[in-house]
Amino acid sequence: MSRPSSYVALLDGGSRERKVEVRPLAPGIYEVRLGDRVHRVDAWRHDHGTLSLLVDGVSWSATLDERDPAVHVRVKDSVFPIEILDERRLRLRRAAGAFTLEGKQTVFAPMPGKVVKILAPLGAEVAEGQPLLVIEAMKMENELRSPRAGKLVELLVKEGQTVEANARLCAVE
Amino acid sequence: MVVGHGLGLGHVLEGNVSMPPRKISKVLIANRGEIAVRIIRTCREMGIATVAVYSDADRGSFHVRNADQAVHVGPAPSRLSYLDVGRILDAARATGADAIHPGYGFLSEKAEFARAVEDAGLVFIGPRPESMEAMGVKTTARKNMAAAGVPTVPGAPAPIAVLEEARALADRIGYPVMIKAAAGGGGKGMKRCDRAADFAAMWESAQREAASAFGDDRLYLEKFLDQPRHVEIQVFADGHGNTIWLGERECSVQRRQQKVIEESPSCIVDARMREAMGEVAVRAARAVGYRGAGTVEFLVDAGRSFYFLEMNTRLQVEHPVTEMVTGLDLVRMQLEVAQGERVPAQEQLVRRGHAIEARVYAEDPARGFLPCPGKITYLRVPAGPGVRDDSGVYSGWVVPQYYDPMLSKLVAWAPTRDQAIARLLRALDEYTVHGITTNLPYLAAVLRHPAFRSGEYDTTFCARHAAELVRAPDPALEDVGLIAAAISAHRRDAEQAEAFAARAGAAGAGASRWLRQGRARVLRGGPR
Repeated sequence: MSRPSSYVALLDGGSRERKVEVRPLAPGIYEVRLGDRVHRVDAWRHDHGTLSLLVDGVSWSATLDERDPAVHVRVKDSVFPIEILDERRLRLRRAAGAFTLEGKQTVFAPMPGKVVKILAPLGAEVAEGQPLLVIEAMKMENELRSPRAGKLVELLVKEGQTVEANARLCAVE
Repeated sequence: MVVGHGLGLGHVLEGNVSMPPRKISKVLIANRGEIAVRIIRTCREMGIATVAVYSDADRGSFHVRNADQAVHVGPAPSRLSYLDVGRILDAARATGADAIHPGYGFLSEKAEFARAVEDAGLVFIGPRPESMEAMGVKTTARKNMAAAGVPTVPGAPAPIAVLEEARALADRIGYPVMIKAAAGGGGKGMKRCDRAADFAAMWESAQREAASAFGDDRLYLEKFLDQPRHVEIQVFADGHGNTIWLGERECSVQRRQQKVIEESPSCIVDARMREAMGEVAVRAARAVGYRGAGTVEFLVDAGRSFYFLEMNTRLQVEHPVTEMVTGLDLVRMQLEVAQGERVPAQEQLVRRGHAIEARVYAEDPARGFLPCPGKITYLRVPAGPGVRDDSGVYSGWVVPQYYDPMLSKLVAWAPTRDQAIARLLRALDEYTVHGITTNLPYLAAVLRHPAFRSGEYDTTFCARHAAELVRAPDPALEDVGLIAAAISAHRRDAEQAEAFAARAGAAGAGASRWLRQGRARVLRGGPR
């Protein structure tokens, strides 16, 4: 039998944490502690990230879509993006300081597409939420907004340029 | 089949433009994705061979694998491939196709394409180019419809030069009215005027706005329809002068003019109104000598008066809704009409039950409906009674960034509206797409919304309830989500630890036995 695991789950884009402990009791049977509640869970793995869970005798279907860094867990109509971290990963995550919007913020392309318009010139003072550029993908135009108030200190693309997903576009400081 | 209408305009058309009957043996589908797959399916059933076309981005697309033949027609941007008339015709000639089905979008409503297809000696599966032209430009269509006695939104389709003349017209059609720029678009130079006292000031202000925005200050006037509903009628005409209507589709759940949910029948249409709308739609189709599948779109006001909006001269995205309630295959009927066969008689048509369609999109409602192209890592589609999934994707397919992000159309049929809603919700719950974000939760939220359930909704539904439709996940389900994530992480960690131990053991086993023996002796403190 494997050893118990203790995790911290980051919810709501990292703004909320919850502790979860998993203690294996028998193959496929676990005791899961969530705060002060303890559940007996029978977990059966179906194909491709689908779990059948019997939680205290109630049957649930959960599907896990592994994205980076969060896993998107769907239960009925609800999708929970959850980052699940053990001690070591939690320390790394905190050291990376990705929780804050202090300092220089880089804007990345959320999807592959084409830069059709640049709305703020290099060096411009911008407000939080102000549209910076427009990317066209799948016949639709999408405005990308400034993550914080500050100055546009980097502009790495030109109008008409094609960009990949996660390409660096500009930065605000 | 029985000939429905032997008199009137139909008779004239029969004499004018009878088509030589011609068996179609191979169809080129000038489209991609879901609709190409849909057309191929019917062709298969009819024993007709199919030719797919594809761009650089679509070699791996579902429709290419499903067709009997496939021809590469250019780079990913559609203007260089799916919209390139020359390349599409070359592909048809090279493969010996005798007909072209345009699907919807792309070249489907381009009269010059239909004409080029016919000039090449091929059958265009759709209306005559003249009909497309007569309905193509809004002001022309409106004029044609008014001449045919089809009700249009009251107002002046042509620009009005003099303020007094405009005010007189506004008084006649009744307030509120919309003042619109003739050259307009995007809401510029567009004003809603609620009373006569404000008219002059608003007219002049709209004139200034239009002049500065478009360099053209001409204005026209239309009655303002408050919270209209969008109801459309499916029509079908053959080359023998028979035109029939197949019933309505309610499409008022729209987001930025983009339909989200469609259903039939509409909650506000009773038998008498349906009959009236059907007859008007047939009149509209006949007025332009229509042939094949078409849709006449109407706006319906609070008093249930209906006004012609436009005619779509092609098969619609939402055609399965009509197929489910009539039991007909509209693509098969398109092919039959193109072969010179007749449509069924109006009185043969039967509509039963209720059908609802939801459009599944690769988009993220939480981020302003941002399109989400990318790889589908896993796909599981719903099944069970009364469910139909018209999809163009598969597990492992990378949804390209170049085209419309619609993945599939999920349709449910049931004897009643309530049962159809429950069935579609159940099917949405079974729908699983991994790797990219979809609007599945948004679709479920629409179906659960009290305004939708009551049937009391109009074209402002999505905008008005925007905040309620993009909901945070249900907190009551968070614990189950966390349990799933934690158990999955625990198993992964345990498997990794086991694999690590096994590797370490294997590495140990690989080392010299003498050495291990020696170490063990030292540890035991035994003799060397």
